[in-house]
Amino acid sequence: MKLSLPRRLFLALAACAVAMCLPLVHATVDEAHDYAMQAATPFVEQGFTVREDYWNGEVENAQKLAVRHQLFKGNEYAFWLGTAVDDAELELAVYDVKGQPVHMELKSAKNYCSVRVNPPKTGTYTVVFSVKSKKEKGVTWALAYGYR
Amino acid sequence: MNHSFLPRWMSRLSGVICALALSAASAQGEAQKYDAASFPGFVVDEVVVPVPSEIFSVLDKLGEPNWKQELRGVKTPTTTDRYELSLIFGTVVAEGFVAVQAQDKKAVEDIGREVLNLAQSLGLTKAVRPHAQSILDAVEKNDWKAVRKEFDQTQATVRFEMERTRDIDHAQCVSLGGWLRGTASATSVVAKAYNADRAELLNQPMLVEHFSKSITGMSSEAKSNATVAAISKGLTTIRKAMDSQDGNITQEQVTTIRKTSEELLAQILKK
Repeated sequence: MKLSLPRRLFLALAACAVAMCLPLVHATVDEAHDYAMQAATPFVEQGFTVREDYWNGEVENAQKLAVRHQLFKGNEYAFWLGTAVDDAELELAVYDVKGQPVHMELKSAKNYCSVRVNPPKTGTYTVVFSVKSKKEKGVTWALAYGYR
Repeated sequence: MNHSFLPRWMSRLSGVICALALSAASAQGEAQKYDAASFPGFVVDEVVVPVPSEIFSVLDKLGEPNWKQELRGVKTPTTTDRYELSLIFGTVVAEGFVAVQAQDKKAVEDIGREVLNLAQSLGLTKAVRPHAQSILDAVEKNDWKAVRKEFDQTQATVRFEMERTRDIDHAQCVSLGGWLRGTASATSVVAKAYNADRAELLNQPMLVEHFSKSITGMSSEAKSNATVAAISKGLTTIRKAMDSQDGNITQEQVTTIRKTSEELLAQILKK
């Protein structure tokens, strides 16, 4: 199929616009993960192993999110939530299968927070979190975890 | 995805850390009950599959498994099928976690080399080579923690590269192969010295459902692959064997999970 010159020009410009936007989004999501890793630093010093896989994304400001995750009784876990938003108010909580909170020791800083969990049973747990900003319409987030 | 634990933020850390005042609070009192039915937010679809060493570390705390006995070696079949290669890759990385538990330098070196061979077959040499080298460097120094981390990073990198090129089905196969090998190893340890605490570690219905759902969502080409189809069927058996009223997994259930995962591994590795 042969495209007309204006159409080819339009597609080329559109591709450039997308290419220019993508790194920006990724940069801020990556930054959110960097902050989650800052939250992890003192835990690593205490013998926690950080998992390389993590959750991340960009959502509407203050949107509550949940992830379901498998935890093993006998390990201690830590979850680290990071954001690139500078005026963030972060929430992070972990619930068992009955919806009861099981997390402890919530620690917050400017761009990140953390909780610890000693799972009472092996099974599926739900991590609920949100990033609230007074200025931003959309917020980036990254949730990582570790165990020991 | 960021694969480096010490990325560019390290340079900013000292400045930032001074400017931050950490506030600690007991969150138990603040958190309300979570009700999935009335949750006002979104549930993120993505599932992060635990690495085998998460379950292995608990087994270590509950006793002293003979991890050397659990090693299988890495005699992988010759194939050009990308689904099979991805499944095999997952099993080999999981074998790496077993080798780390056994602290077997020779086994880790062999696995490191096999990881690179498989990456070459998958067209991912460039992404995997640094990890393979780091595995060999870390094992040279007896830094088992670093080796474990590199195996985790290797799998994450491969899955990331596959997802980046819209190769989602193959990325799922990597996770699936890894989980099956980890499960076979864990059930083998539990079966050798059964008790309720060890067996409880096999209470993983959410993960099995996630893998079943992943296969259901795969392309018809993937689903028609004989090994993928067999795994799909096997997962149904494993899921049933994980049924439990109280989270307790009986010896009989452990046997079923073990037998099924071993059969699926045999099919993947053409043994």
